[in-house]
Amino acid sequence: MASPMEQFEIHKGLQLPTVELPGGILVDLSLNNSIMAMLIAAGLIIAFFAIATSRAAVVPGRMQLIAEGLFSYIDDMAHGIIGHESRKFFPYVFSIFLFVLSMNMLGMFLSFTATSQLAVTVTLALMTFLIVLVVGFLRNGANMYKLFVPSGVPWYMLFLVTPIEIISFFLRPVTLALRLFGNMLGGHVALKVFAGFIPALAGLGAVGVVGAVLPLAGVVALTSLEFLVAFLQAFVFAVLTCVYLNDVVNLGDHH
Amino acid sequence: MAAEDTPTAPGAAPAALDGAHAGTAPAETGGGGGLPQFELQYWGGQIVWLLLIFIVLYTLMSRVFIPRLRKVKDTRAETIASAVAEARRVQDEADAQATSARAEIEQARARARSVAAEAKAKANAEFAARQAEADARIADELAAAETRIRSLRDTAMASVGDIAVETAGAMVQRLTGTAASAADLRAAAKGAA
Repeated sequence: MASPMEQFEIHKGLQLPTVELPGGILVDLSLNNSIMAMLIAAGLIIAFFAIATSRAAVVPGRMQLIAEGLFSYIDDMAHGIIGHESRKFFPYVFSIFLFVLSMNMLGMFLSFTATSQLAVTVTLALMTFLIVLVVGFLRNGANMYKLFVPSGVPWYMLFLVTPIEIISFFLRPVTLALRLFGNMLGGHVALKVFAGFIPALAGLGAVGVVGAVLPLAGVVALTSLEFLVAFLQAFVFAVLTCVYLNDVVNLGDHH
Repeated sequence: MAAEDTPTAPGAAPAALDGAHAGTAPAETGGGGGLPQFELQYWGGQIVWLLLIFIVLYTLMSRVFIPRLRKVKDTRAETIASAVAEARRVQDEADAQATSARAEIEQARARARSVAAEAKAKANAEFAARQAEADARIADELAAAETRIRSLRDTAMASVGDIAVETAGAMVQRLTGTAASAADLRAAAKGAA
């Protein structure tokens, strides 16, 4: 019986050269199952959107309808959170939503979930965090301090509020990365553990076979739950990206 | 993709046969605190590939797919908006036409009413004039007839006096055998009248 953690192991595939990044960091570019999962996830999105939007018509076809549904769903969400400037940030939010969703969903079909790799979720979270920082400083400059000094708070409360705001701001990439990582890791471990109970119980004889029905039902239920989690975590990632962007895009004005 | 039950990595040891329970990390992952995710040797490749893949995905999304979808959606919104505006315009036009038609009907009805009233008034006036004429003629004739009757009666009344005198004369003659004088007779007749 394989360990429930085995599904997260990286297996090297195609050997590619190791490159040296500026700063003397050596990076092995060899393909592995995690990278393959990402490639397939992104490839599926690109293929789907290439076909769905190739003959974009005012009266949509089936695939275009799905693409437009996703588009409108995230567009409306981004507009609701960021406001009239959401169109500028929509490509990023939409790309990250689709990419995370695609990786999560692929994890339900393939044997590997790229978003259960901490390296992946940390990179995505840091990318969002850096974009928020860059956008914030480009738009607000020195006014960025207002992020930590909420308006309408009595001055003596600021001694308490500002440190909390600063800590929560810099914890954002951590929570963003760990939330996605933890959900994917936990879900797939739970699936694996429950699935492991089935043969383990069934090996105990007639009573065990009857008893094995319970973990089987559990696995079926958990699988459907995991589909929900796969979608929900992608959506949560996109929503939080919008919320964090909104903080710096509409800094100081309450809309 | 590698099937999860058949580890094929060259360096990986066979899966630990430590039962189906979670919490016991496989021995071969070592060095990373138990979870395979903490094997930092694979982080660099994953991060670089993730960034490359995401940049390609983002570029295609922002340059190709999103503009296409945005265009279609905007075109659709425009089409619907213009169709609605057109429909509203046509509706307004129809409403205006209906209003003017109603006004025209109202006008025509008023005209008809006035024409009818005029005709009636004219007929009434004509009738009244004719009646007045007829009345006048009748009154004239009546007056003429009355005059004639009055003159006839006067003549007749005058004749009655003569006849009475004559008759009285004749009667006196027959009764007395003497003729009475005409003046007596006349006086007597006047007294009797």
